[in-house]
Amino acid sequence: MSDRSIAWLFTLPTIILLIFINIYPLIWSVYLSFTNFKANRRGMEIKWVGTKWYEKILMSEDVWANMQVTAHFLFWTIFIQAILGLSLAIFLNRKFKGHELMTTVVVLPMMLSPAVVGVFWSYIYQPQAGIFNYIINFFIDFGEFTMIGDFVLAPWSIVIVDTWIWTPFVMLMCLAGLKSIPDYLYEAAEVDRASKWQQFIHITLPSVMPFLMLAVLFRGIENFKMFDMVNELTGGGPGSVTELASIHLKRAAFEKWRTGYSSAFAVILFVTVFGAGSIYVKFLNKLKEK
Amino acid sequence: MSTNIDTSRSPLEATAFSKRIAAFIVIIYAAIAIIPMLLIVTTAFKSTTDAITYPPKILFKPSLEGVVNLSTQRTRQSKEYLKSLPPPRTWYEKIVRKRQMVIAGPSRFFQRFVNSLVIGFGSTFFSVFLGTLAAYAFSRFKIPLKDDLLFFILSTRMFPPIAAAVPIFLMYRKLGLNDTHLGMIVLYTVVNLSLSVWLLKGFIDEIPKEYEEAALVDGYSRLSAFFKIILPQAATGIAATAIFCLIFSWNEYAFAILLTFREAQTLPPFIPTIIGEGGLDWPAIATATSIFMLPVIVFTIILRKHLLRGITFGAVRK
Repeated sequence: MSDRSIAWLFTLPTIILLIFINIYPLIWSVYLSFTNFKANRRGMEIKWVGTKWYEKILMSEDVWANMQVTAHFLFWTIFIQAILGLSLAIFLNRKFKGHELMTTVVVLPMMLSPAVVGVFWSYIYQPQAGIFNYIINFFIDFGEFTMIGDFVLAPWSIVIVDTWIWTPFVMLMCLAGLKSIPDYLYEAAEVDRASKWQQFIHITLPSVMPFLMLAVLFRGIENFKMFDMVNELTGGGPGSVTELASIHLKRAAFEKWRTGYSSAFAVILFVTVFGAGSIYVKFLNKLKEK
Repeated sequence: MSTNIDTSRSPLEATAFSKRIAAFIVIIYAAIAIIPMLLIVTTAFKSTTDAITYPPKILFKPSLEGVVNLSTQRTRQSKEYLKSLPPPRTWYEKIVRKRQMVIAGPSRFFQRFVNSLVIGFGSTFFSVFLGTLAAYAFSRFKIPLKDDLLFFILSTRMFPPIAAAVPIFLMYRKLGLNDTHLGMIVLYTVVNLSLSVWLLKGFIDEIPKEYEEAALVDGYSRLSAFFKIILPQAATGIAATAIFCLIFSWNEYAFAILLTFREAQTLPPFIPTIIGEGGLDWPAIATATSIFMLPVIVFTIILRKHLLRGITFGAVRK
């Protein structure tokens, strides 16, 4: 066989599968987003409704409320995880005895199924039997309170769980960045009598930054899509104070069966994530050039 | 000459004191982070009543109610009826009887567990198989629009699963693939393909081209060079990729909850639905979660050197 035919033979199955399961449904949902189709009514006449759903979504106050919820979740998870992850990485990089074992222990939550863990966190957050309230009350007595049933606390309950799951990821990225710094930079700084603080500002931070930014972009894209953990922990409630974009989409598509509307919403989400994704790839290439 | 300068370590290594502080802080974080996991494992051995008492019990009498509740379906019976029954023969019947119930049959946990295994291993096999072929082609041959194709493959992973689930649900309904093992295997294969192509391309890129070129000179064909030189060299990478795909399929929830209901339901959508009397049955859920987590934890420990690479699709190689 010629190299050319092997190249085709090896890549075509993958590309065909991706077209069938990814591209075709995507085109279909773009089409549906311009119709009044409802997936739970079979045999109904499909009518073209133009950009009705798009207008409705962009004008809807509910959707903007969802976007605010999503933005709050994105900002705080990324902010807290970046600080915690970077600090942990710096401490782990001091290579104390047992630091490898500690790295493995800290990393574990990241690998567990967020949905399954999310369910268990609703037990941890229980007002009476939950260990979370018990520990908080042990230090400061707030009396009985509920994390996931409270309008103010619920958005923080999902930030806490997400931080617990994903801080290790940011930590691992920063650790990779720290390990990529060649020793001679610090040696030169020592010779020049730069203080530890100056070394940190002028050598450590700039070298870790690209890795931290990459971690932030990964977390941004992933948390923009966040569904599983939040769906099990709060289900979007109480009311809709934890209704992230994906939860809103699931409610519209699979509970209210507004297929046209939800397709339009899906398309809007696609476009947003795709834009962020392109930025990410550009960033990735820059990182590789270094 | 003054000898009180410590020359046992390089100036770059942290001092013993700063190491101790670092260790202290990291251990505190690890201790907090591990509480939920410890709680899952301990709750699995609590009795149903111990699991919901206030304040939360740290010390408790271990009970096997969790595993019994997880694997059986039970009905509550009147005292008169229970007295009329012959005494319980097995240890699990005793546990159930104590709570004035009888076993009505096995639960669906085992079937869901098998579903998870079948769908997990099935999809892993196909995505690694197809991914290895594609990764090899992308790594070694000139392919028109290669970078665009690779970006296209990666971009499929950026779609929010819920957004993709709407049209897939409709398409699967037409094809009769909703709630089937085949449908889920195909879907997870496709979702994992982006990961497996990108990861494996990285691993194959690291194998020197000279190996194959030498084989080609020796009269090997491209295909036999691929099978005899590349595959053995890439074995570690293929194994790591397979584990990542397996963990993804094992943990996946969004597609599973929307596209499976009974026949092909996997564990992640099933575990949250385990209910006892008056709500979720926490010891049973904790038992199921412990069984569910165990393989992932083992794999994480095996993979610890490759973790970052897997999660960043090969972007960061340590």
